[in-house]
Amino acid sequence: MAMAVDFKMYVDQACRAAEEFVNIYYETMDKRRHALVRLYLDKATLIWNGNVVTGLEALANFFEMLPSSEFQINMLDCQPVHEQATQYQTTVLVVTSGVVKFDGNKQHFFNQNFLLTAQSTPNSTVWKIASDCFRFQDWASI
Amino acid sequence: MCSNERRQGPFRYTGRKKDRVSSLGYTGKKTNHYEDTGHTILPSKAWGNGGNMETRAVLWNPSVRHTPYSGRRKSREEEHVEDQIHITVWRDEKAQKREVEQFTEDGTLESWFKVTIPCGRKCDKTQLMNSVHSLCSVPFTPVDFHCDKYRIQFFVQDSSIAYALKDVSYKISSEDFEKIPIFVNPSVAPYSVQNRFTREQMEQLKLAMKKRYDISQHALCLKKLRFDPDLMNHNIDMILNRRSCMTATLQIIQEDFPKLLSLNLSSNKLFQLDSLFDVVKKAPKLKILNLSKNMLRTAWELEKIRGLKLEQLWLEGNPLCSTFPDHSSYVSAILEYFPQLSCLDGRKLPLSTGMDIEEPQLMKPRKAIFKGSEAIKNQVQQFLQDYYLIYDSEERQGLLSIYHEQACFSLTIPFNPSGPDLSSMCGYFKDERDVKNPKEFHIQRQLLKYTKEDIVGYLRTLPKTLHVFNSFQVDICFQMEKTLCFSVSGLFKEVEGSSQECIRAFMRIFIAVFESSSNLCIVNDQLFVRNPSPDEIQGAFAISSPTSCSSFKLVLSQEQQRMVQAFSTQSGMKLEWSQKCLDDNKWDYTRAAEVFTMLQTKSKIPKEFFKQMT
Repeated sequence: MAMAVDFKMYVDQACRAAEEFVNIYYETMDKRRHALVRLYLDKATLIWNGNVVTGLEALANFFEMLPSSEFQINMLDCQPVHEQATQYQTTVLVVTSGVVKFDGNKQHFFNQNFLLTAQSTPNSTVWKIASDCFRFQDWASI
Repeated sequence: MCSNERRQGPFRYTGRKKDRVSSLGYTGKKTNHYEDTGHTILPSKAWGNGGNMETRAVLWNPSVRHTPYSGRRKSREEEHVEDQIHITVWRDEKAQKREVEQFTEDGTLESWFKVTIPCGRKCDKTQLMNSVHSLCSVPFTPVDFHCDKYRIQFFVQDSSIAYALKDVSYKISSEDFEKIPIFVNPSVAPYSVQNRFTREQMEQLKLAMKKRYDISQHALCLKKLRFDPDLMNHNIDMILNRRSCMTATLQIIQEDFPKLLSLNLSSNKLFQLDSLFDVVKKAPKLKILNLSKNMLRTAWELEKIRGLKLEQLWLEGNPLCSTFPDHSSYVSAILEYFPQLSCLDGRKLPLSTGMDIEEPQLMKPRKAIFKGSEAIKNQVQQFLQDYYLIYDSEERQGLLSIYHEQACFSLTIPFNPSGPDLSSMCGYFKDERDVKNPKEFHIQRQLLKYTKEDIVGYLRTLPKTLHVFNSFQVDICFQMEKTLCFSVSGLFKEVEGSSQECIRAFMRIFIAVFESSSNLCIVNDQLFVRNPSPDEIQGAFAISSPTSCSSFKLVLSQEQQRMVQAFSTQSGMKLEWSQKCLDDNKWDYTRAAEVFTMLQTKSKIPKEFFKQMT
């Protein structure tokens, strides 16, 4: 019972973090691209359709070269990650799906998942991206 | 004698007065003019002035009308009068000065002309001006050039230029093949000429600009020029919206910074770019222009400087930026004016000169990536093989040993399914979980499975499946010493219920910890199920990569090897595909044969799967 109560608390925290994060992430991606890299941890890793991008400098270059985007999110799911897997750093798994159009390209359905870790600051908790994995659903037809 | 003399004096006075009265009708207008002027300036001497004027009018007016020489004589007469009466000299001097001023003004008026070209909004203004220049027989420099969507206006100084421009009227056709008129009219001097900087002011401006010029970069920073301390100390108001200020600035750029490459005009409250029209000629090498934080309201202002071959442009902080619905339409609009632009507001644009014809290239997807050691790759492959063999079996209870005591699991299906048939997803629909709706927070909590018993119990209620291993693509998302996060996506077939033989697409995310040196134990599991696109189905069955197939190669028992050989003989398929078919059907030979026959009947098995006929 005690364990179940703790779990529910973690779930609620994860849901709130996920919803807020997703709103910020895709708006920044579409409209304030230059600020996107600030959402990532220094050692974060992005896997973009199988291509690996590691480190803030590489991420900044990658997002700079990516054509401008228009994202529409159709699905959002999240789970608190078990503490054994996170070395006791509060972590949330966020999963999204939807449609994206990159300038000059046709529309694609996509899946994306993030691992967010909580970074404590004096005033509030800030969630940062530890890992980001993006895939087009229809990759085989590209 | 004295008495006679005194008596004669008054008589002469009376006679003059009489003459004035008699001449009023003859020279009324002119007389009134002078009288009014005299009255305004010297009321106490009006009478005397009138008298003097009377004399001039009576004596010289007819001659003035006929010859300029008479005018000179008139002047000489005035001098004669001056010799006699001191007061008269002063008054005449004033009048003479006024006449000189009027003459000068007349001269200025006659030498300036205003040119108006009503050309319509579709017209390319730069191109039109080039045509005018080429057709005009006399070279000219437009002063105070101004254009809006419907017309062009500028000033020229010289009647020969004015006549030459008139000759160009109706000789240029617009894109609609309408002939364009050019109207030329006498005008006052243009604003920038009337407010031209003095030599001293130009020197001060030049000094200030030199301090702001970076020789190594050929960059000139005129940001907030109005508040330059040197210019303010000399009371020079550098408001670049004013034509005279921008004209002076561009003149100095032309004379002193001919190699200018980069010009920063940010924060100068510019609301239009008419005065920048000349920059195309005066700074021909300009490649970088910063117009950020000004007051430009529409992108159309850029029409006035589109002759520049800009590579970098800043416009952020102008009202025009918020007139676009989204960023890509903003970029497209700006590229209309500067097609060679490679950087806008500090962001690289995907299009460049060399790629004008091509679409922007997205980074190409790779099927799978395995960073780190080969051991991790093998471990994940083994895990997936073990997991889905159990998952696809009749009994899923065996998954219990793979989950952590406190693991959690969630399932989602699309909000807007990519396939038309939503009802076919009913096997998953009743347990749909979606966090987008905050009102359902407590329901999500219930839908999230917690503890391995609940998870496996739930998995057993989902439709029976047969996963297509060939369709799997795996990403290692995150890895630490004892933790692994990986995702796998692909296709599976449902093998029971009303959706039997229906193909689904899935994406699964596992977070696992290494329980021992080689065992992965799942702590988080997220499953997303959707309907695949026809391309995906086609793609999955078309894949025939030996690597892909062999990556899941099993160590076969002797009995299994015999089954593969027999199946290959009977079906005609290659050994590897026969093995896969048997494996997909849990090594049930009869079942595998039925599946093969069904697929073959529907012509769903590609030719490449079969052995070459010998």
